[in-house]
Amino acid sequence: MIKKLLVSPLGWLIGILLSLGICLGALFLGSLDTHSLLNSEIGHNILWNIRVPRVLLAFVIGASLSLAGVLIQSNVRNPLADPSLIGVSGGAALGAALMIVAADFIDIQAHYYIPVAAFIGGILATMAVLKLGRNDMPGGMALLILAGIAINVVAASLIGLLTYLATDSALRHITFWSLGSLASANYFWLVLCSTALLIVCLWLPKQHRKLDAILLGQAEANTMGVDVKRLQIQSIVLVALLAALAVSACGIIGFIGLVTPHIGRMLVGASHRYLLPLSFFLGGSLLVIADGIARTIIAPAELPIGIVTALLGAPVFIWLLVREGRRLQW
Amino acid sequence: MVMSLKQLSLERNGKSVLNNISGELAGGKIIALLGPNGAGKSTLIQAMARLLACEGSIELQGKNIATYSSQLIAQKLAYLPQHSQLQFPLEVEEVLSLATLPFALTKLQQRQQVKQVISDWGIETLAHKDFRQLSGGEQQRCQIARTYLQLSNMKKAGRGCGLWLLDEPASSLDLQHQKQLQAVCHRAAAEGHCVVIVLHDLNQAMRLADEVWLLKDGELVAQGEAKEVMTEALINQVFNVSVRRIEDQGDHFFVFS
Repeated sequence: MIKKLLVSPLGWLIGILLSLGICLGALFLGSLDTHSLLNSEIGHNILWNIRVPRVLLAFVIGASLSLAGVLIQSNVRNPLADPSLIGVSGGAALGAALMIVAADFIDIQAHYYIPVAAFIGGILATMAVLKLGRNDMPGGMALLILAGIAINVVAASLIGLLTYLATDSALRHITFWSLGSLASANYFWLVLCSTALLIVCLWLPKQHRKLDAILLGQAEANTMGVDVKRLQIQSIVLVALLAALAVSACGIIGFIGLVTPHIGRMLVGASHRYLLPLSFFLGGSLLVIADGIARTIIAPAELPIGIVTALLGAPVFIWLLVREGRRLQW
Repeated sequence: MVMSLKQLSLERNGKSVLNNISGELAGGKIIALLGPNGAGKSTLIQAMARLLACEGSIELQGKNIATYSSQLIAQKLAYLPQHSQLQFPLEVEEVLSLATLPFALTKLQQRQQVKQVISDWGIETLAHKDFRQLSGGEQQRCQIARTYLQLSNMKKAGRGCGLWLLDEPASSLDLQHQKQLQAVCHRAAAEGHCVVIVLHDLNQAMRLADEVWLLKDGELVAQGEAKEVMTEALINQVFNVSVRRIEDQGDHFFVFS
């Protein structure tokens, strides 16, 4: 696999993107020669403590959100679903915000509990959305999206309420979640998010045909030997894990989970055998690009990455809605 | 016996959609489910496929259907729903290959089987098309081919005679492909499988079915040999229409009177 990737154009493209991502920023590392880069303290710090974990985390989170998008879209058979649209990101952000505010009142190590709270929030929100939006019924798709919107609104309102209870530092922390940024990337988050991604990548190879079967419909999948309920529960837990960790590490980053699976489908179709690996690489690469734009376009300041992905993703989302509308002749 | 139904009942929103239905589904038979809209035909076929939980019991090859794993069920019955719900760009070939999912086949065997079924069904030109872009009839043919491939693997896997559940498979088919469907149903029955087919066309049921189950308002009004069950009086009563049954050289037809 690695050998194939290394010799493929995609592998080279990812290598170039990662290298560019590491070089780009307020200080362009490409302008320093190798000697000064390796020997100066500033160069060393920028390279190993800021750029490398940040770019790698961007790739891991992009890949995670993209795979989460594929999983959620396939399981609910809704091309317009993504982790943030079905409430998992909102629920995770609410869980994280609750923990941030609670940390000011009770003596706990919020740093360790935020991912757990975000994870639980993500799972609860997803379950609520799936319960409210019966996707297997006629008109269920619209119901599912509306349920996701409703849960997101509830989560946003509760986060708004929490900001009134929050101290100044907690307020800054919560604001960070809602806009999304990779500025606080470090090796802790890189290891945590990579582990979750690795778990999903180990689970996926045996599921790709079952996911194809679900695309035909729950009844068909059931009578083709797929334990649909079990697969959906496993998928939801893993989507919640990926999305919750992504939200914990860098706040809400929208549209990557929605858009990259669609780009992947346009390139290789909906068969998960090809779509899953392609979405992994596309999602990772797109977030590295978005992060590169976010921290160079108004350098030395940087834009929240959620703004960049939304600006890139929203037009694609609108185009998808129009195309879907035409296909269904709304 | 491939399947036995004992006193199946189901209520939805306080309304009985299946009421005390019992029957035996034998291998080598084609059983047509007939009845007006809302009679419970699709509900009954879904209950047979274990897609709905009902009161009463269903035995598949002598064992309670509830005790089977999803994979084992798929090795004993194949189900064709009324409508396709695909929202994503899967190719016809990819849809067909899903029929091999319940069985432990190598990739080469899967490819060979799919190639064979494409050739058998004369859908070579559709093989690499996006399933969603096909016409209703083409989609239906591909889905029938998919479920037939699943059915034909059952004997090869040593699972005995299978059950082929077809919910209105002929609704979008032209005459040529209706004839092809009939031939395939006869072939499946000749191989020892039991075919259950929901139909609206009385003449097609008369030609195709060994046995007819006539449903109305969730109740099994009559079951038995097609020629005995489908009497003028009973059809008029169940469908609330006026038809005449005519005979021509041993064949029976219904016409509106």
